[in-house]
Amino acid sequence: MDNNSQYLQMFFDESAEYLQQLNENVLLLEENPQDEEIINSVFRAAHSVKGMSATMGFTRLTDLTHKMENILSKVRNKEMQINEKLIDVLFAGLDYIKDLVDDIKNNGEELTDINNYLIRLENVLLNKDNDDDIQENTNSKDKFADVSDEEEIIEDFEKILGLSKEEESDLLDSMNVEDLLYNIKVVLDDNCLLKNVRGYMVLKKAQELGFLVKSSPSQSEIEDEDFDLSIYIIIVSTLDKETIISEFQDIIDVKEVKIHTRDVKNKVDIATESVNKANDFTSSDDISNNDHVTPTNDISNNNDLRSDDDNFEENISKVNSEIKESAKTDKEQIIESDINKKTEKKKAKKLSNVQVSPTVRVDIKKLDNLMNMVGELLINKTRLAGLNVDNDVYQDIILQLDRVTTDLHHIVMQIRMVPIGGIFNRFPRMVRDLSKELNKDIDLLIEGADTELDRSIIDELADPLMHIIRNAIDHGIEIPELREKNGKAKKGNILLNAYQKGSEIVIEVEDDGAGLDKEKIIEKAISRGIISYDDANEMDEKDIYNLVFHPGFSTSEKVTDISGRGVGMDVVKRVVESLDGQIFIESEKGIGTRFIISLPLTLAITQALMVKINNEVYAIPLNTISESHLISPKEILQVRGQDVMVLRDSTIPLVECARKLNLDIEYGTYKEKEEVPVVIINSGEKQIGLIVDELLNQQEIVIKSLGNYLLNIKNISGATIVGDGEVALILDVRNIA
Amino acid sequence: MNKRVLVVDDAAFMRMMIKNILIDGGFEIVGEEENGRDAIEAYKDLQPDLVTMDITMPEMDGIEAVKAILDLDANANIIMCSAMGQQAMVIDAIQAGAKDFVVKPFKPDRVLASINKLFDE
Repeated sequence: MDNNSQYLQMFFDESAEYLQQLNENVLLLEENPQDEEIINSVFRAAHSVKGMSATMGFTRLTDLTHKMENILSKVRNKEMQINEKLIDVLFAGLDYIKDLVDDIKNNGEELTDINNYLIRLENVLLNKDNDDDIQENTNSKDKFADVSDEEEIIEDFEKILGLSKEEESDLLDSMNVEDLLYNIKVVLDDNCLLKNVRGYMVLKKAQELGFLVKSSPSQSEIEDEDFDLSIYIIIVSTLDKETIISEFQDIIDVKEVKIHTRDVKNKVDIATESVNKANDFTSSDDISNNDHVTPTNDISNNNDLRSDDDNFEENISKVNSEIKESAKTDKEQIIESDINKKTEKKKAKKLSNVQVSPTVRVDIKKLDNLMNMVGELLINKTRLAGLNVDNDVYQDIILQLDRVTTDLHHIVMQIRMVPIGGIFNRFPRMVRDLSKELNKDIDLLIEGADTELDRSIIDELADPLMHIIRNAIDHGIEIPELREKNGKAKKGNILLNAYQKGSEIVIEVEDDGAGLDKEKIIEKAISRGIISYDDANEMDEKDIYNLVFHPGFSTSEKVTDISGRGVGMDVVKRVVESLDGQIFIESEKGIGTRFIISLPLTLAITQALMVKINNEVYAIPLNTISESHLISPKEILQVRGQDVMVLRDSTIPLVECARKLNLDIEYGTYKEKEEVPVVIINSGEKQIGLIVDELLNQQEIVIKSLGNYLLNIKNISGATIVGDGEVALILDVRNIA
Repeated sequence: MNKRVLVVDDAAFMRMMIKNILIDGGFEIVGEEENGRDAIEAYKDLQPDLVTMDITMPEMDGIEAVKAILDLDANANIIMCSAMGQQAMVIDAIQAGAKDFVVKPFKPDRVLASINKLFDE
């Protein structure tokens, strides 16, 4: 099969999804080892990965998932208990799957050596199944002999499928005048896959064509794939030879059909030996190994989804009883055993009802393009609206257009929104592994996993969150002994929570660990030269915690390989801020620590207040503005040389925008104006008043990046196109504040 | 006229695989479903000439779906898509009335041989 890229991409996407699902479910399984639904969904996911891998020709992945599936199948059939060891093995398998998929992604082929792991799996399988295996072996050894490929069908039949005297006479009695007795030999193709199913189809066909007297192998032997390629059948039918041959040949994988119309009356004497014959073939050592069966097929024998219902003993008794009983009861028995099997299988078939909503896979780039186009549309709508044509029809059209574009915008936004659960779900596995490694006992609680965020934001968030959680596990939660000593529950808790608050999404990571140690932080910061003693005295709690985000800071005495060397927290802050978000820390010694990240719902389109500064239009994102005022210069006061205003009893520093933007004009002229426009900006807990020249209007803006070259311009976060087609710069007010 | 096919498999990857094989073989894909329950609804709506049915699927497995579809239409042509290790379930499906089966990984010629045999009769 050609690994063409279309398949590959889908293979990567889906295998990643299944892996995620597997990780989650194995974790669940560890907690609920008896839950059949979970076992089933784990099994299904492993099975799907196997199917995809086999199709793509990735043999290692196929082998690996196949072996894992075997184990899961044993678990499902209650032949194997779920214990910690088994869960570890499964997790290791998932890691190998990931490695192999990564190999394929990066190098185009499977490189990771899985042989040792396969042996490990094999051992797991064998440990529990020694008994079964031995039985299986004796089973196959003692089954009937190889069927020679002799042309002479009658001889074959005498050897393989003789009828007893009673059987013959019963048969003769029951036959009508137009009935014919046929000996049929059906040979399946060497390359036949799932030959037991093919064999079953052959038998089923025989039952349709007439009355199935007897077959070798028997139905249960066929179902257990306990036969070579030939099936011998005796049927009574009114159909002619040619019809019967062509009916059998219509079954796929049937290589040849030989048929012999039997003269029953002259063959009665054969029957006398039949009991011995039957014993012969059950005890013969002569097994035929089918060379054409592929290795996967071989393994699949172990993987029969049912528990092995007929072991050797039962088999003998079945053969014997078959012989003793008349042909009619024989048929009844087949039906009966079918019923038995069905009820047995019912147990295994309770499939879980995991909700999977139908989805369409779209390349994120296409969505970005769509968003871009919607942005263009918005801009042009704004331009049209700005034309100010005094015409009712025109106004009506503008109104309609406005509604449609707004809806369109919302829909596109919706499409881009994905639940944050997608990244939250990675963490339980990480918490499990890490806490195990550190000998800590930690529960991870997840809330608000269905909170939705723009896809591009979510992708960026995974690493920062991972880092915060790692920190919580490593530095936050104490070891169980210490917790107990301090009167806490042995088990630590980490709460991961997401919720929407206005136009922002808030994500919190909270632990009930030791909390941040302020003195220690200050000490470290001073020793690293980040702050001076004087600085330290002036710092409030928030400022101190914020030191943690300083590059090169680590409060841990010991550097562990888990949360690294203090690189990371500064990166966390940088990533969050690049997403136009903010991060704070709340902590109480001995009680715990909480990281709070707030993010905008989306990045691409936002509401903004348009202002004029030095005759240029600028945009200020609305989510950063708390209010705007026109104040008189008399209201501007001075505190320590800084212009401030008083708003509802709080003093707000005033910042002249032009100065922050380094505009080449005379600063401070606003004090000579009659009224001064001030935009109050909220940045975290801080408020500032931005002084601009003129307040214009509020409108939707499409945020465009300035491109790599202008990326680091201070205090400007992007640009947008306004109504008249002009470019307006977007103020990075958080930075200004 | 091309025969109309409904493809049922929970893995989009597998659906794409078999779709491409069928399209190359001159069939028309009229629908895709990812579980047995939806497959039954789709069968009612689309009345396809053929259904390719995966076995292990969430919501409702392929065997239950085969039974339900045959209850609706005793002449429905259903081919099971099986992987190694599912023999017993395939047998169940055949017993329930599925016409044939193909084995994953799919080999285009074998898939088409199975299907064409159905329509030759």
